[in-house]
Amino acid sequence: MRSVMLLLLCFSWSAPLLAATTGWQSAKHIRAELVSEYRQVQTGQTLQLALHFVPDEHWHTYWQNPGDSGLPTQLSWTLPAGVSVGAIKWPAPQAIAVPPLVNYGFEGQTILLSDLTIAADYQADTVPLTLKVDWLVCEEVCIPAEAQFSLTLPVATEAVLAEDAASLFQQALQQLPQPLDAQGQFDVSGGAFSALLDLPEPQNVRAFFVAATELVDHAAPQQVILNGQQLLLQQPLNTYFSAAPQQLEIVLITADGKAYSVQLQRASNAGTEILISQGQHDPTALWLILLLAGAGGVLLNLMPCVFPVLSLKALSIAGGGQVRRQQQLQALWYSLGVVVSFVMLAVLLIALRSAGAAVGWGFQLQNPYLVALLVYLLFALGLSLSGVVQFGLGLMNSGSAVANTGGSKGAFFTGVLAVVVASPCTAPFMGTALGYAVSQNAAIALLVFVALGLGMALPFLLLAFVPGFARVLPKPGVWMDTLKQWLAYPLYLSAVWLLWVYGRQSGVDAQAALLIGVVCIAAACWLWGRRQSSQVGYGSVILAAVLLLLALALPAIAPYKQNNQTDTITAEQSWQSWSAGMLSDLRQQGKPVLVNMTADWCITCLVNERVALSSDTTKAALALYDVTYLKGDWTLRDAAITEYLRLYQRDGVPLYVLYWPGQQPEVLPQILTPDTVPQALARLSRQP
Amino acid sequence: MKLRHLVLAASAAVLSLGLTAAPQIGAPAPDFTVVDTKGSSHSLRDFAGKTVVLEWTNHDCPFVKKHYQGNMQALQKEMTAQDVVWLSVISSAPGKQGHVSPAEADDLTASRNAAPTAVVFDESGVVGQAYAAKTTPHMYVIDKAGILQYMGGIDSIPSAKVDDIAKATPLFANAAKAVLAGETPDPAISKPYGCSVKY
Repeated sequence: MRSVMLLLLCFSWSAPLLAATTGWQSAKHIRAELVSEYRQVQTGQTLQLALHFVPDEHWHTYWQNPGDSGLPTQLSWTLPAGVSVGAIKWPAPQAIAVPPLVNYGFEGQTILLSDLTIAADYQADTVPLTLKVDWLVCEEVCIPAEAQFSLTLPVATEAVLAEDAASLFQQALQQLPQPLDAQGQFDVSGGAFSALLDLPEPQNVRAFFVAATELVDHAAPQQVILNGQQLLLQQPLNTYFSAAPQQLEIVLITADGKAYSVQLQRASNAGTEILISQGQHDPTALWLILLLAGAGGVLLNLMPCVFPVLSLKALSIAGGGQVRRQQQLQALWYSLGVVVSFVMLAVLLIALRSAGAAVGWGFQLQNPYLVALLVYLLFALGLSLSGVVQFGLGLMNSGSAVANTGGSKGAFFTGVLAVVVASPCTAPFMGTALGYAVSQNAAIALLVFVALGLGMALPFLLLAFVPGFARVLPKPGVWMDTLKQWLAYPLYLSAVWLLWVYGRQSGVDAQAALLIGVVCIAAACWLWGRRQSSQVGYGSVILAAVLLLLALALPAIAPYKQNNQTDTITAEQSWQSWSAGMLSDLRQQGKPVLVNMTADWCITCLVNERVALSSDTTKAALALYDVTYLKGDWTLRDAAITEYLRLYQRDGVPLYVLYWPGQQPEVLPQILTPDTVPQALARLSRQP
Repeated sequence: MKLRHLVLAASAAVLSLGLTAAPQIGAPAPDFTVVDTKGSSHSLRDFAGKTVVLEWTNHDCPFVKKHYQGNMQALQKEMTAQDVVWLSVISSAPGKQGHVSPAEADDLTASRNAAPTAVVFDESGVVGQAYAAKTTPHMYVIDKAGILQYMGGIDSIPSAKVDDIAKATPLFANAAKAVLAGETPDPAISKPYGCSVKY
């Protein structure tokens, strides 16, 4: 009996030797076990060991970069000769906020994997492992905890899996960030950590974790911008930042909770494409951006594309009668029309952007058919001002008693029209505000657009509400009719400008077809006008309708050629067509480059070109410094140019960037003078 | 041209908003006014002409306890003997770990044999935020001209074990000695480690 008991005791002693786990141990606020993937190992094998631990509820441990405070979990192994252990394979961390600090760590069940390698010539028949673990376990207060584990694995000719540990290892593998085969570079200039990655396929990344300690300010907001497969990341630098490593690991977290790990290289000085326009990466005060947007809106009133509509409105106010209240109401309706249009555009822009289409701020003038429709509209309005036809919008009936609602509706739609025509003119303030707005969430973007609208409507509100302004307006009289007819001409001129844009977009043949359409519109309006003065019967109405349909159909069926960029290079030409490949080639050759992103419907661009870029001083400077001048045409949709614009946080044109070898790319202001480029070149050439 | 000036001014305003008030080596240290355990108030200006050491502390934190096994007291005695003003700052908010009453603070100083010039209270966390103090302990050295010369950890091994003090490079002590000798510390910034400050 006693010998049986002894034998049983011996078995119970030896049983733990064959197990793959050390069993649970408790330390302060944490309990842990060490588990091996294989119950029996063979020489030359690499297997995984898991440190599986669970801190108390609401307590956490730390990642390899613990964040603002805390210590990463440390493992120190005691191993026999011929056996080695690799570095910890960390699961994807979480951000744990302890305001105003942020730490990176793990709450709840955590598994830390390590690879154990047994040499091929390992002699002994067991592998005795000893592990000492040091944790810092924290809730709000922190407690250092430690534990020691011993595990002995038998060595045999065949390896045997530990079946009951299989599910644990599967779970651990799922929590590991997947290594992503992506090219990435990072830079630490400008007070921020910036990274640029080329992903193998687009991922909806919403957050990232930098594995280097004391590099980023963990509590500061992160910028994550995705265009197609390119990912742009930014976070301000840590106050205690001193030096950046040459290589670091970064963990990306996508919106659906997946984690990926990427290795980033430090960007070399020459040829880094990472530039976020200065000051934008800090959360600039919203109110200042709104103010800038409002100022931009006011400026829009001065742009030649808005002015004719402005004249319509001024006329409407002048003719709206002596009733100030009516003027105020009309001004309010106009403002509402403007703001609503901007908001609709913003909504459309956000919707399209999230659908991934390569669009920018002036997109409605990139579609030739839309341009054609606008030509018709402006021409028809001009005709009505000239007296050929009266439109029931209330705009033209300045003399007659117009129903209140008619007047309000007219004012509302005048506002809408003003916005539609003004939008492509990216005025200087709008550039920054737009770039900011589109990078923020929908709510802020909408706010910015509302501010833009209010700015644009401001002059009319002033006109209507400030008595001094209104007094400046002359009393109604015969002059109003004359004025009305005069004001037709700005509208005709706008139509001519749009015709020119259309011609550039679709070619001369399509432009001729559109002109035929314009003639049809003229005839239709004339017939309709005669109908209104009851001079003709219904036959004319039907004819007018037919002509209208013809006019609408013509641009759709007209033969139009794609805007061919390469056929405009002649010996005289001082610029070349932009392409991303050409730009990087030139920069690699160490040549200075000036990039000009422009579009035909962008007035600011055209003005800059006439005033500054074609001036003698600029041409001389470009020749003197041997600068290659690349022009990108964004008149029609171009995905490559849209991506380039987004790199500089812009959503519209113009954009002027000067590249000097050995320096960071410099973004020039949106309003150029003849001296801007020469001065910038002189300054860049002087720097070491 | 007026327009251009407007654009430039607006850009400058936007840029200036981006500048945070983070402490910087080589720049004047942020001024502060705090009250000590005796109720008297101290400002950084009062100590012009003297080297000042700021030590963020929390007596319950294991990392602070590690250094108060003798290391911190020795440093305090050595520095105050050389006419350095040593302020132990408690930024713990009321109800959080490390927050003590003035009487308790004096008891702790006596029982631990500590020798700071004064123990001061920063309950609202204003001073801690101005100095971007993240951990306890977190050390700063300000020279006689009021310029911040060192900020960061007390030594080079972030752990809670007393044995590691002897193995570590005494980064703070080296920096303080350099400042007293009129030289610039190298490194002037190091990784601070410890428990988070309980704002």
